[in-house]
Amino acid sequence: MDSLTLILILPLLGALIIFLSPKNFGILSTLHVIISAITSAVLLANVCKVLGGETLYSYDSFLFLDSLSCVFLVLIAVTGFLVNLYSTTYMKWEFEEGHINLCDLKKYYALSHVFVFTMSLSVICNNVAFMWAAIEATTLASVFLVAIHKDQKSTESGYKYIVLCSIGLAFALYATVLLYSATFSNIGNGEHAMLWTSIMDHAKDLNGDAAKLIFIFALIGFGTKAGLAPTHTWLPDVHAQGPAPISALLSGVLLKCAMLALFRYYAVTAEAVGFEFVQSVMLVSGTITLFVAGIFLIRQHDVKRMFAYHSVVHMGVIAFALGIGGEFGLFAAIFHCLAHSFTKALAFCSTGNIARIYGHKDMSKMGGMIKIAPITTILFGASVCSLVGVPAFAIFVGEFLVFKGAIASGQFIAVGLFAIALAIIFIADFSHFNMASFGEPKDVVVHAKEMSLMENLPLIALCVLIIVFGVWHVDSFYTLVENGVKILMRG
Amino acid sequence: MATIDFLAICMIVTSLAVFGLRNLKASVAIYAVQTLLLVTIFFLLASEFSAQQLSTWAVVAFFTKVIFVPAILFWLIRKLNVISEDEPVGGFFVSPIIAMGFSLAIAMSIHNIFLEFSLIKEEILLIAAGTVFMMGIFGFMLRNSFIKQILAYCLFENGIHLSLALMAYNSHELVELGILTDAIFAVIIMSILAVRFYKAYNSLDTSKASNLRG
Repeated sequence: MDSLTLILILPLLGALIIFLSPKNFGILSTLHVIISAITSAVLLANVCKVLGGETLYSYDSFLFLDSLSCVFLVLIAVTGFLVNLYSTTYMKWEFEEGHINLCDLKKYYALSHVFVFTMSLSVICNNVAFMWAAIEATTLASVFLVAIHKDQKSTESGYKYIVLCSIGLAFALYATVLLYSATFSNIGNGEHAMLWTSIMDHAKDLNGDAAKLIFIFALIGFGTKAGLAPTHTWLPDVHAQGPAPISALLSGVLLKCAMLALFRYYAVTAEAVGFEFVQSVMLVSGTITLFVAGIFLIRQHDVKRMFAYHSVVHMGVIAFALGIGGEFGLFAAIFHCLAHSFTKALAFCSTGNIARIYGHKDMSKMGGMIKIAPITTILFGASVCSLVGVPAFAIFVGEFLVFKGAIASGQFIAVGLFAIALAIIFIADFSHFNMASFGEPKDVVVHAKEMSLMENLPLIALCVLIIVFGVWHVDSFYTLVENGVKILMRG
Repeated sequence: MATIDFLAICMIVTSLAVFGLRNLKASVAIYAVQTLLLVTIFFLLASEFSAQQLSTWAVVAFFTKVIFVPAILFWLIRKLNVISEDEPVGGFFVSPIIAMGFSLAIAMSIHNIFLEFSLIKEEILLIAAGTVFMMGIFGFMLRNSFIKQILAYCLFENGIHLSLALMAYNSHELVELGILTDAIFAVIIMSILAVRFYKAYNSLDTSKASNLRG
């Protein structure tokens, strides 16, 4: 069995093993962690194979792994493992408080691995239609993870999630069908016209009008799933209601899978009609997303909704970076995916701790967290610092490169708009952080002590990663990103 | 008028009926009829254009979409014991007119680009595919009943299926299977959510789901 197949088989096998296991909290949690660790190790082993710039193929090129896909596979492996590790802690609390039973827990763990399978498939699929199907499958696999509770709010979030994402992805399917037909009319081979690798090779011959329509449809479709405004509305509701680890996975990994699809359409369209068109469209989309999310961000007092709007903001940053274009812009867009993934995973996992301490998620009723749980406060603060782009944290690198790219290419109005949007976000975030962390507690504190070191370990690891990628030049990862930029720049 | 064109127009009319009928059972029945029309179109295209793959598509679509999906929806209606839908956005009379008007206009305006690359260049069929797809999109936006929204999903899935047959019937059979499997799982999951929704809200009116706004 080749290594790309193993990427897909392992999480499915893991889900099956968990599903067949006895309903025992210890056994289920241990299996969950072991399967996650093995899956992540295999994912990273494949990434290592591609580090030299080669591309892995499997099943007549039906599956492939290039440097661009590898960046996203790293997110699934690292963020996925650390979040799954934290989810055993989070679920223990949920179980102890009687919010879930062992049956729900088993479903949760099993579906988590099905979710990882669908995300991995969407990343390594060379077949454009199957990649669409895999991204649609990510929604189907995760809807009951989001709506794990059966109350009104949870059901409403599940409903909004599946409805909005399905509508959006319908447009993406139209883009897929049109891309296939337009490519087929040039190369006359049905098998090849479905493969990204062949589509990129023949993208120059694509009809310009068709390429533009394809890109707009893809932007509506995958943009909805990625959380770009104005179709971002599912995201705050879903994040607010889902368990903290699922919010971390959705925001940290899933949104990026949709973004990868958009990257591929961006590259094809740029090759067909030039960069000017795709950059203009992405610049408009990014700017609208940044400001819409920024305005909503100011009003949020629910810590999870606040971070959800942050996801929208940072998808806007990635779109904006694609709009800036050039080597700096594209590097920033790809790098930002990783930076945001680690940061947002830390942010959402820390909300799990916060919700346990206060018993709710309303920051206006918190206060005094620094005295109750200093480590959690530091981790929460680190995620906020990274999210607003404080230097020495990973997100700063991506945002700095956007400024650099925009100034280098003389896009001064874009620089101005980007700076204003980031200023709004900066002010909103630190006021919220102060509200929750300092002063005296404003309401009842349910769990007035810090989590144990073991419970905080995945969060600490994420925090370390954010700083490492903010301070050091991680050669192997930078190689992947640079090779990814070359794939996008073929136009 | 060619038989295929007539069937294409019937698909447009049935999409209006699925969208507009107040009785949920009748809507599901009309959806089954529309899918039967789709299957017939697949068979006719298969013989007329020597596209043998479409015969297989037709057989698969018959079992999955003419029998299985309506059966799930009938089960859902019976389980929840609901007869007709709640008042839609814009009212029962206005919303179908708005939806059909915009759907036809959008389908007419973009079908030329699709026509240029279609493997099977049937203009009316392409317009029908676009119209049925857009009726589904408007169904989501304008209808408040959860079951009507599942039907809207089925409508735009039919529109895409027809587009796929015209534009990409020669693609790998796994592609059609993958897309169809996703669609069926989506209907099953939406149906389970609809049951949960009904239990939580004691209604299928999705406009009541307003706890999370802001």
